[in-house]
Amino acid sequence: MSTGLLPERVRTAVASVDDPEYPGISIVDLGLLESLDTTTDGHVAVGLIPTFPGCPALAMIADDVRRAVDAVDGVATVDVRWLGAPVWRVDRITETARVAMARDFTVAVRIGREPVACPRCGSPTDEQSMFGPSRCRAVHTCPTCAEVVEVMRA
Amino acid sequence: MGRTWASMDDFEAFLDGGGIVEVDDDMPDAYRQAVFAFIEMHANSELMGGLTERDWIPRTPGLRHKMAVVAKTQDEIGHAHLLYMVGADMGIRTRREMLEGLFAGRSKFHNVFHYRAKTWGDQVAISFLVDAAALASQQAVFKNCSYGPYRRILKRIIIEEGFHMRMGEERMLRIADGTEIQRTMFQQSLDDWWWPSLQLFGPDSKPGDVLLRWHIKSERNEVLRARWVQKFVPLLMSYGFTIPDPGLTHDPATDSWTSGPIDWEPLKRTLAMGGPDSARRIADAAANWEDTHWVRQVLDDAPARSAGAAA
Repeated sequence: MSTGLLPERVRTAVASVDDPEYPGISIVDLGLLESLDTTTDGHVAVGLIPTFPGCPALAMIADDVRRAVDAVDGVATVDVRWLGAPVWRVDRITETARVAMARDFTVAVRIGREPVACPRCGSPTDEQSMFGPSRCRAVHTCPTCAEVVEVMRA
Repeated sequence: MGRTWASMDDFEAFLDGGGIVEVDDDMPDAYRQAVFAFIEMHANSELMGGLTERDWIPRTPGLRHKMAVVAKTQDEIGHAHLLYMVGADMGIRTRREMLEGLFAGRSKFHNVFHYRAKTWGDQVAISFLVDAAALASQQAVFKNCSYGPYRRILKRIIIEEGFHMRMGEERMLRIADGTEIQRTMFQQSLDDWWWPSLQLFGPDSKPGDVLLRWHIKSERNEVLRARWVQKFVPLLMSYGFTIPDPGLTHDPATDSWTSGPIDWEPLKRTLAMGGPDSARRIADAAANWEDTHWVRQVLDDAPARSAGAAA
């Protein structure tokens, strides 16, 4: 039997969806969830924003969210949309997600023009390329420990 | 400076105990060479794969799959970039030396990139069968890889290769559900790509394989290959396709499939750069390198200029 109010349970369901690029890290912690509307008769509208437009994982993430919300007791319909605005920014990533990205994926997050700290040794890194394998990540190296670091940036 | 080991026995005991080697460790030379050769081949294969993928951007049907191919091209080239950096850090060859070796036809890349993808059906077979084979091999390396920098990069590569496979599966389902012309095209692609995909795993691992002993690979080639056969034979047959292996056998007791005898000659030819499309592919990659010479020149000159301006 379900517990809690419907909006809370739907929110928990959305938060249970991991980013396919970072298994174990919730899309909510990455700041992808922008709006969540639930009517009393169980119609749910989820508004998501992409880290980068044209990200190849968008359809996959929307499918996962739809499936998770659909499984919530009391939900009648689910509408998942990618919104054109606002623009996603790296400061939407929570501290929890930042720590997990550094620890589990050696991926750093760059806020503004701040130097990027190497996830392994903490030294400032050098940018090698604005683009890496993903559109949302640049490639840096660490001059101290030689680690090749990917850096998520807006 | 990192750690040192008094002897190979000590080093192997460290590896057997689950030890992870880092770039500044004083690793035995034979280990350094073996890890480097493995990473270099992986990097070369990502680059050659990325160039093939790029060729298909304009020819991919539908916007959704076109976007996926654009992203996959960036993934593969980006993976090559990361791997070349990790390889270069080992101090054996620089990134430029590795690239020049590849374009001169001196260094190896995976057998599947020595064949030509002629139809969209071929691309579907590649993203379904070949990507699955490559992913299975990479997962087996990641599971127990003793070289830290490679292991950390592999973790991210594997996640992205997983996307490619999911995309490949979707494409296969679409084509299996398509018209007779599409199904005939895909059967032809299966006939052409089945054996190269299977040969990607390589011949049975030798008893003294250092890649296994030094925890670079965690599973024997034949085990990975058998698992792949076990997965894909029933799947493709359930969609009504034929497996081009007359020696394929089924054990009803265990419901397991075993491939017939494998002819390793085609694999040997690709390793000697004598595959059906080796020469064209290498020439194409080399021409690409030549054409982009001016970009590297501009980038190489840029820091020198700004340093001069500051002074």
